[in-house]
This record gives sequence, C-alpha cells and structure tokens, in this order.
Amino acid sequence: MDQEGCELSHLMRRITETPPDFLEEPRLGPQGIVVVSAVVSDLCSWHHVDPGVAALDAFATGTPKADRNRLRVSLLLSWVLADGWFRSLDLRTAPLVPLLLQGASELSEHVAVEKLVSDPERREELARFCLARLGFRPLGETRAQAEDRLTSLSAAERARVLRASRDAEARARAVREALARKAAEESADKYTRE
Amino acid sequence: MTDPSDAERYPTLSEAGRQMLQRLREHPHAPMFKNESGNRLTQQDVETVRAFQLEVAEAVVAEQREEAAPWLAEFLVGVYRDVPFYRAMGGAPRRLGDVPTVTRADLSHDVARFVPDSAPVERMINFRTSGTTGHPLLIASHPVVAASYLAFHQRALRRFDVTLRASSGDVGVVLLGYQRKCFTYVSVTPTLNEAGLVKLNLYPADWRNPEDRRKYLEDLRPEVLAGDPISFVELLKLGSTLRPRALLSTSMALLPALRQELEATFACPVVDLYSLNEAGPVAAFDARAGGHVLLQHRMLVEILDAAGKSAPSGERGEVTLTGGFNFCLPLVRYRTGDFASLELRASEPVLIGLEGRAPVRFRTHAGEWLNNIEVTHALHALALRQFRLHQAASGALLFRVAGRARHEAELREALLRLFGAEQALVIEELDNADGKLLQYSSELAP
Repeated sequence: MDQEGCELSHLMRRITETPPDFLEEPRLGPQGIVVVSAVVSDLCSWHHVDPGVAALDAFATGTPKADRNRLRVSLLLSWVLADGWFRSLDLRTAPLVPLLLQGASELSEHVAVEKLVSDPERREELARFCLARLGFRPLGETRAQAEDRLTSLSAAERARVLRASRDAEARARAVREALARKAAEESADKYTRE
Repeated sequence: MTDPSDAERYPTLSEAGRQMLQRLREHPHAPMFKNESGNRLTQQDVETVRAFQLEVAEAVVAEQREEAAPWLAEFLVGVYRDVPFYRAMGGAPRRLGDVPTVTRADLSHDVARFVPDSAPVERMINFRTSGTTGHPLLIASHPVVAASYLAFHQRALRRFDVTLRASSGDVGVVLLGYQRKCFTYVSVTPTLNEAGLVKLNLYPADWRNPEDRRKYLEDLRPEVLAGDPISFVELLKLGSTLRPRALLSTSMALLPALRQELEATFACPVVDLYSLNEAGPVAAFDARAGGHVLLQHRMLVEILDAAGKSAPSGERGEVTLTGGFNFCLPLVRYRTGDFASLELRASEPVLIGLEGRAPVRFRTHAGEWLNNIEVTHALHALALRQFRLHQAASGALLFRVAGRARHEAELREALLRLFGAEQALVIEELDNADGKLLQYSSELAP
C-alpha cells in the first residue's frame, strides 16, 4: 500500500454499477454463460500482461458446486480492474493475475458474489482489497489507516462466516439427530409406500 | 430413545377413530402387527392438508418449461438462501439450467445439508429406502408431507372417475406388502374423517392362519388397495371377493398383463403411480395419454442427457425433478435414475416409456448391444406379471419370471429372436419375497 490510489467511493460506485453480464454464470462444462478465461484474457491484454496458458486454464476449469463463486468473483474483479483509473496505470509488473486467481479464491471462501455488490461493507472490502493487492491505498488515507480498515472489515466478515458455519454444523447435527429418533423412524401415514 | 405415545401418533383421535383402531387391531383374523405408527396430524395440520387437497384438485400441471413455472424463481432464491448445500454455492442462478444436478448419492452422503433451515426438526420424520443403486437413503419429511400424498392420489383417481368416499367407520386403504420383513401397523386418516388405514404383510408368517389374509381383507372392505406388483400377485392368489374402488400400484413397473388381470379380478381401475420417496407421487399411468401423466403443479420435470443437457421433446433421458411438496427436502435438478421421454399430449405433460433406473445394455450372441427397452418391447405381447433379466459376464442370460411353466416356450422364442438362436439362456421361477425387483442387470459393460 505504498502508493496512493483513487478515491474509495469511486471504486465502490463502480461496483454498485456492475452490469448484469458480469454477474452471469461462469461457463463450466455444459452449464453457464460467461467464459471467464476470455474476459480475464481481454483484461490482461488491456494491461499488457501475459497471464500464461496455465493461469487462463484455471479460469475455465472446475465444477459448478466447487468453483462457481470463485469464478464469479474473478469476473467481478475483472469489471473493477477494467475501470478507467486502473487502466490509466502501468500494471505490467503488478500482481494482476494473482489478484484475479488467488485473490478471488480467498474472497469467495467467505462471501457470495451478490453480497460483494449489494452489501455496503463488502463493497468497501472489495474496493480496498483490489487497491491493496496492487500496492495502493485509498486516496487521502495513510497506510496504517488503510491497513486497519481492511483488516477490520475482513476480520468482521470472517468472524460472521465462522459463526454461520458453526450454526450450520449445529443445525445439521440437530437434523441428523431428529431423523434418528424413534418417532422419526416410525414415520407417518401415507396412502401409498414407495 | 422413548416410544411415542398414542397421543403423539394420533393427536386428533376421536372415540370413533379409537374404535376403528381397536377393530383393525383386534379383529379375529387380524395379522400380527409388528410396528406402530400414526398420522401425527394436529387439527391445524388437518386443515392445511385439506386446503392442499383443494389446491391440487384445481391446479393445472403446465407444460414443463422454466418460463411456464411462475413459482420457480422464488423457489430457487429460497433454496439458495435456506438450504446449506446450495447456500455454499452463493446466490441463486437466474436460469435453472445453471444449477448443478444432484443425485441419490449426494442425498445419501449427508441428507442434512439438503434440509432447509426453516424445516422444523421437532416434528421431522424419515422415510428410509434401501434402494437398488447401492445408495441407501434417509429422506427427511413431515407428517403434513406424508398426509399430502393423498391429494395426488385423488387427482390420479379422478382420471378414472373415482372419487374417494371412505369416511368414519370405513376402511379407506389397505397397503399391502409381501416381504419376509415388513413394517406393519394400523392408523386412521383424519382428512377422511378417520377412515381406517392398515399396512399389512401378505407374507404368511405374519398371520396366525394364511386363510386369515382373505377373511381380514374381505371383512375390512377397504375402499383402496395400495401395493406393489409383487404384493398384488399374492393378493390374486388369495381368491378373494374383494371389490375395492381402485388399486394403487407403486415401487416398480406394473406390467400390462398383471394390470389387466387385476382390473378383471377386482373390477376397478388399477392406477400405476410413478412415486419416489424423494418426491412423492410424480405421475400416474393413463393408457389414453400413452404414458405417465404428471401430477404435481409445483414441480418441474426435465429430461436430461448424460452430460446434464436438456433433451429435446420426445427424446429419452433421465427424469430430473425440481420443486415438489416436501418442504423438508426441496429438490433442485434431482436426477432420479429413471428414464423416459417427455411430451405434451392434449395439453398435458406425459412421461413416455418410463423405465426405472439407468438403462442396462445387453449383448446379443452376435455382439450387438441392445438397450433394455428393446427387451421390454420384445416381451410386451407376452402376458408376463413380473420378470427379471440378468446377463452374466460370460454373456449367458438368466430370465426369472413369475409363472415360468406357463410362459417358458413363448419367452424362449421371443428372447432368442432378439438375442440370436445360439444365445445361452436359462429361465427360472421368480421368488417374490426377495423384495424390490431390479428388473434388468448385467455384468457386462459395453
């Protein structure tokens, strides 16, 4: 975060204005619409970055169950990084592809892409995350301020996700126990049985 | 683990209902009931189920297109919000085709992940299936869901001009089994003013005297008999004078010869239901429609190819279900393992050529591969009640059939015409008490 970047509100507004095409389903096998590797390739061309075949392949492979959200975050990041402010920069040596790949993977583990657009705090986190991973801090902030705010935003979300995960596990346990009860085993009347 | 009380099993039981239970249990010819169960419906549940019956009776089952299912978008949003398995994938896709399909193996792995957060655990019940695919399954359900089956049975029966009339003092239904081990009990149906419900096993060991089977059934005079083809074959052997108003057949294919024999013997319609523990009654066979007519108005049926792509109208593929009425287990693109094509006939969606489980391919003596539906067609003209065909790794065929002596010559001729005159073929008698039939199997892989 050594360099001062653009205004945070500018990027947050861009995220709010994400066109529906960038929230479409990633193509994986017979499912989905958007070929994410092609979008990433176009973005890299604008920034004069060669992503390499192996990296592009990672945007085209996977399963909807495991990789859908990761690829949708990559797609959203592509929209953000195609902003005029980023395009005015020389990003040839910046970690653009790692941001689109590993960065998307990190974000996708704790937040659904819809929430990155609709929730103000997640929008802010996404905007700060993009700037930070490319070595920038929001205009008008010190490095310490920018680091603190990003850490606090992502820590709060990770804590929420952890709580939700614990709740989900407790609920799954309750369902399994309910199904194992004698009363559940006795079932209930149906006019036919399969 | 404490046993539920009768108050939990029959929350709305009246004196008339209690007397019905007593009659069913203590009848001089009653079987030895092995288990206990009940309707578990509160008065509010009864009203909910009655309202649902009206809704189902009046509903139109539309053409099976995403655009013709106005409930679908909201359903998907709800599932992606409330069901852990889907929530983990992010927000709901806008098109159903972008939702990954799931199979019995996914449900079998951990069904709890498919149960919505909104489903009340305190009243949850389960339906357990051993299955024929190697994936035993525990289905999460609810007393209201179980009671709601009747709405679809009534819809199916209306196609055959049967309106259920059983009420207080009558026996509404006897569910028949024929298995060495079978869950048996008595109950009453509150939505039919506590008409009696009996689930019994025709297997002789469940009775003090085998002759009691006929006497008990004849004295109960149930309005409906429900069962699978195996139990119906045993029912025929009893030589009873029963006159039910309808027979409901589930669980496995009902062959035309058995249907005709049942219709002639009992002088009533025999309705072959395509029903799954995972989804309830999906469709009912109606020869006038040429197949199984869909019954559920909040379910979307797709026919998918092996890659998960929608097959064009009229093309065979895997029957895949979305929606349904089990609010404890909403299905999204659930691949049933059953195969059919789907057509719109007289503005009704109809499953054509429905065959349970994945197609099995058989090798002829000349090395040509045949789909099991070709065997079905080749045997269609024969009056077979039940059969099973297995091909060993050597290519030899074992055909097991109920009533071997009567059918052997014509069967041999039909099968050798299909497989070649030199084909190794053994024909044996089928033992009915082996449980659910896996009709086709093979040790050979094409």
